[in-house]
Amino acid sequence: MRILILFLLCLNISYVKADEIYNLLKIPNLEIYKLKSENNIRYLNTKGDFKIGVNDNIKCNKVNQKNLTDKFSVIEKNLNYYNSKFLKNISLKYIVLCEDLYISDINTGGIPDTKKRTLILDINFNPKYFERMIHHEIFHMIQKSFSNNFNENIFSSFNNSDFSYAECSTCSDRLNLDLYKNTNGFLTEYSKSIPSEDMAEIFSYLMTDENKINEIIKEDQILRNKVGFIRQGLSKIDGNIL
Amino acid sequence: MIKKVKASLSEKILFIFLISLGIFAFSSFFLLKNKCLFIDEVNLKNINFTNPENIAVMNIECGNVVIELYPDISPNSVERFKTLLNKKAYDGSAFYKVVENTLIQAGDLEFGNKEYLDYSKIGSGKSGLGLLKSELNDEFEFTEGSVGFARTTEFNSEDSEFFITLKEIPIYQGEYTPLGKVIYGLDILRKIKTGNKAIYVLRPDYINTFRMLNSN
Repeated sequence: MRILILFLLCLNISYVKADEIYNLLKIPNLEIYKLKSENNIRYLNTKGDFKIGVNDNIKCNKVNQKNLTDKFSVIEKNLNYYNSKFLKNISLKYIVLCEDLYISDINTGGIPDTKKRTLILDINFNPKYFERMIHHEIFHMIQKSFSNNFNENIFSSFNNSDFSYAECSTCSDRLNLDLYKNTNGFLTEYSKSIPSEDMAEIFSYLMTDENKINEIIKEDQILRNKVGFIRQGLSKIDGNIL
Repeated sequence: MIKKVKASLSEKILFIFLISLGIFAFSSFFLLKNKCLFIDEVNLKNINFTNPENIAVMNIECGNVVIELYPDISPNSVERFKTLLNKKAYDGSAFYKVVENTLIQAGDLEFGNKEYLDYSKIGSGKSGLGLLKSELNDEFEFTEGSVGFARTTEFNSEDSEFFITLKEIPIYQGEYTPLGKVIYGLDILRKIKTGNKAIYVLRPDYINTFRMLNSN
């Protein structure tokens, strides 16, 4: 009987498996979640864990389908704020949905990549900030595509002269995402990290709670200038986003 | 006196299996050696084309594959394709990248030809006509038999390489420049040699001739 089993094992044939999504995005273990949408965004989800980037420093896990189904409507609702022309201009086409996203062992909500037209989102990111995080990451893609509209030196000049940003977003301990009661030029602690994060925080609030920001800037001159700067930069790309 | 040994059940099964395997191997060698055996030939004389100026015919080992080109969708790319066809540039081109029942790719005119096949450089060859701007179309669906212009990971890098899908690949929609669709001979394309465990094929199949219908 053992000889028979051995023979059957010898007949085992392996095939080349095609992965068209990997060929396009260079991210393994993805499958299509939703391909057609009004603004041409394509949603993909992880069917297995993946590691990408330099020394595999970006890691994310397989999604639980029920978890994804529960959260997808929120994700789609927020992405539907952007029209297809705008998304094309900022090089965003693919949303990769996964769980527990890490970059260099630091948990992060999203990782944008304009070159691959991809935004990786962690669907397990803190629900309190989840929607705002989506717009925050999208702003990074906007800034990358239209850097002239969002010059960091001009933006930084709106701050008090005694303020200085950190060297990088992760090399400071200014990470809290809660809205300050007393803003004084910054919406959150994370806004104080680097200029691009400051801009992204303002943009994310403008997309999720514009009325609140309009209230705040009545009393905060620095923020008023910053918000005006962001609005002006965006209006040059698309007058209807804000 | 010689003692008669009775075969066990597993020995009998193994014996029958080996006999069957022998018969199968024997018949395969003589009867099924020709991979084109069950392929219907496409007879071009029996087909009435409404737009013969956009019909291209690729002849490969198992017969003719007829492709309708779509200049209305991708005018510049189809024009390039026709230019290369008229120059007979694809004759002898290797199907060096093949994913079984999914996709075949050929058209590296520099490093992927029957006369000169360089696996260290294949896929990077140039036609000498320059790169083309991608002509993407969000409506064109890459269904079974779609022909698209291959490119590098960057857009606007189309040159001469093309691929044909052997199944629907929805993710390609809006990602690659459509050139046309196979209207006859998809089963012929399915017979093209695949790699064993890689997408790159050693000792690949080649295009015999690839011409516009009018020039045949």
